[in-house]
Amino acid sequence: MSRLFTLLRASPVRLALGLVALFALVSLASLAASYAASRASLDATMRSDLTQDIAGFRAAPNARALAALVAAEARVTDPARVVLSYVTATGQRFGNGRLAQDRDGYFLTTLDAPDRRIDGQYLALTTPLYGGQLTIARSRAEIDALFTVFRNIVLLSLLPTLAVALGAALMLARRSARQVAALGRTLDRLTTGDLAARVHPTARWSDDFHRIATRIDRMAAAQEASVDSLRQVSSDVAHDLKTPIQRISVHLDQLSDMALPPDATTLVDRARAEVDGVVSVFHALLQIAQIEAGTRKSRFAPVDLVPLVATFAELYDPAAAEAGRDLRLCVATKAAVVQGDRDLLGQILANLIENALRHTPDGTPITIGLSEVDGTIVLTVTDAGPGIPEHERDKVLQRLYRLDCSRATPGSGLGLALVAVIADLHDAVLTLQDASPGLQVALRFKPVR
Amino acid sequence: MTDRPEMKILVVEDDATTGTYITRGLREEGHTVDLVANGRDGLVQATAAEHDVLIVDWMLPQIDGLTLVKSLRGAGNRTPVLFLTAMGSVDDRIAGLNAGADDYLVKPFAFGELSARINALARRPRSLAQDTVLTAGDLTMDLVTRDVMRGGQRIDLLPREFAILEHLLRRKGRIQTRTMLLENVWGISFDPQTNVVETHISRLRAKVDKPFPTELIKTVRGAGYRIEG
Repeated sequence: MSRLFTLLRASPVRLALGLVALFALVSLASLAASYAASRASLDATMRSDLTQDIAGFRAAPNARALAALVAAEARVTDPARVVLSYVTATGQRFGNGRLAQDRDGYFLTTLDAPDRRIDGQYLALTTPLYGGQLTIARSRAEIDALFTVFRNIVLLSLLPTLAVALGAALMLARRSARQVAALGRTLDRLTTGDLAARVHPTARWSDDFHRIATRIDRMAAAQEASVDSLRQVSSDVAHDLKTPIQRISVHLDQLSDMALPPDATTLVDRARAEVDGVVSVFHALLQIAQIEAGTRKSRFAPVDLVPLVATFAELYDPAAAEAGRDLRLCVATKAAVVQGDRDLLGQILANLIENALRHTPDGTPITIGLSEVDGTIVLTVTDAGPGIPEHERDKVLQRLYRLDCSRATPGSGLGLALVAVIADLHDAVLTLQDASPGLQVALRFKPVR
Repeated sequence: MTDRPEMKILVVEDDATTGTYITRGLREEGHTVDLVANGRDGLVQATAAEHDVLIVDWMLPQIDGLTLVKSLRGAGNRTPVLFLTAMGSVDDRIAGLNAGADDYLVKPFAFGELSARINALARRPRSLAQDTVLTAGDLTMDLVTRDVMRGGQRIDLLPREFAILEHLLRRKGRIQTRTMLLENVWGISFDPQTNVVETHISRLRAKVDKPFPTELIKTVRGAGYRIEG
């Protein structure tokens, strides 16, 4: 029912219904006009027939002959069609009926005793003749029948036309609804990063939708090409930068193979660490750019976060223990399956745990929490460190932003920015909140059912 | 030097510094190395001569690395290929592996990592692959009962510690880098910033090596870890 309603609201159906209504109105008006004209001409014909009938009876030479003529004619005449009546000067009645009168006006009755009223509309002409009164009345039933004829014309021609037009409109609307749905599906796939999605309209598509579909396909192709060329550019940039970085590390290796004074060895090690830092920033920036291009979403698959958090808690456990920390895992759900990219979700966990390790003093516990609250999967990483002041919580999600107090600690400044980008890709809500004391980073995912 | 048999390796790399560096390092390890600087020469050399391993850079003049590997695989050449690339994303990794490469190394890399991966790639029979008991020195690992014994003493290992030790024992004599361990033991294909693998190895060492006079798990500086055969 609601589908039919939606269909009726579709623009082609509304257009078709409007046209059908207009067509029906014009048809009705022209039928009404021709009905009126036919009726008027039938009326005129009847009047002239009556005048001729009277003229025919006038041909009788005297009252007796006229009475005989009327009586003879009346015997073969059906009063339902024509009523003939001649009332002589002496009050004698001839014919198949007579004209009578009451308060409401004239009417026709039979000559039987008691007389019966003759129903129906009649057009009557009466004239005094040979001292008596001659009356001829013709039934208007023929004219009334005309109305039935016209009504049948309406029923037999106009209604089927309307039904066919309505049906055709609904069919067209269903076809266009299918085409609109195909356009919608393609646009959805493009939005989620599947840039290879196309509408591919067939020749059976209606002209206007075909044009729109062709343009969407052209737009998607252009988009795909520009993302491809962006990827080409970033791969060129990566190559052009990575090659000299590779050379630097080669030269550093060659340097460290030489017999160097201890100071120089320290410098070589420091230079190596700097190269590693450059590489990690570079990797993170490239990764953010690629994730923002959105194409990875097309490779999403269901990922259970329960074993994933277990793996990462276990992976970082000795590192945390070395710093005198307790890395707790608090899983309050049997399974937490989200639609996503396992590598990227792992990257989120690694970045959050490393962030907590790096920015809180040794000995501070870290808790990884996973639960399902009101149909939402909540992943949290909580530390009991100094936390982040409220006015700076948004800023730490920006690229390369670092708190003044953390400038001295190592890190690319891209860890949380990468987490934010990955969370966004997964339609997960990322919040930083006060764990008093400490910081709680929470990610809320929609579960896969 | 090590007990590794020497291999014939083809290096296709257009950057002279990197190419020379790789070539010299591999020759020092006792391998025979051919170096070419463009994709066309690489394709010719790879099809003309039998190599044990190919090292192919992605960005190459004339024919790029991806096309080179695809062409080789298309022609039925199954020589193991290690891909070198400046791009480190999962998409690029998948593209490389889909083209037919066997492993993937992101620039800049340390020579130790390259060397370890080449040795892992070389198609040599793994002597212990079918055994249910792995040994090294006076250590035995029973894969069925999951008992680990050293010098008559029983060693209790956590599941992950057992997995790391098993991985190293199965590849006895060959270096396993941190990223190789992350990929194979944890199934993680990105590089965490924290030295997580080192901390796991040192826990393992505390149980396997510390109570005993000789050290089984060796650290290879700038490369990774190895259990001597």
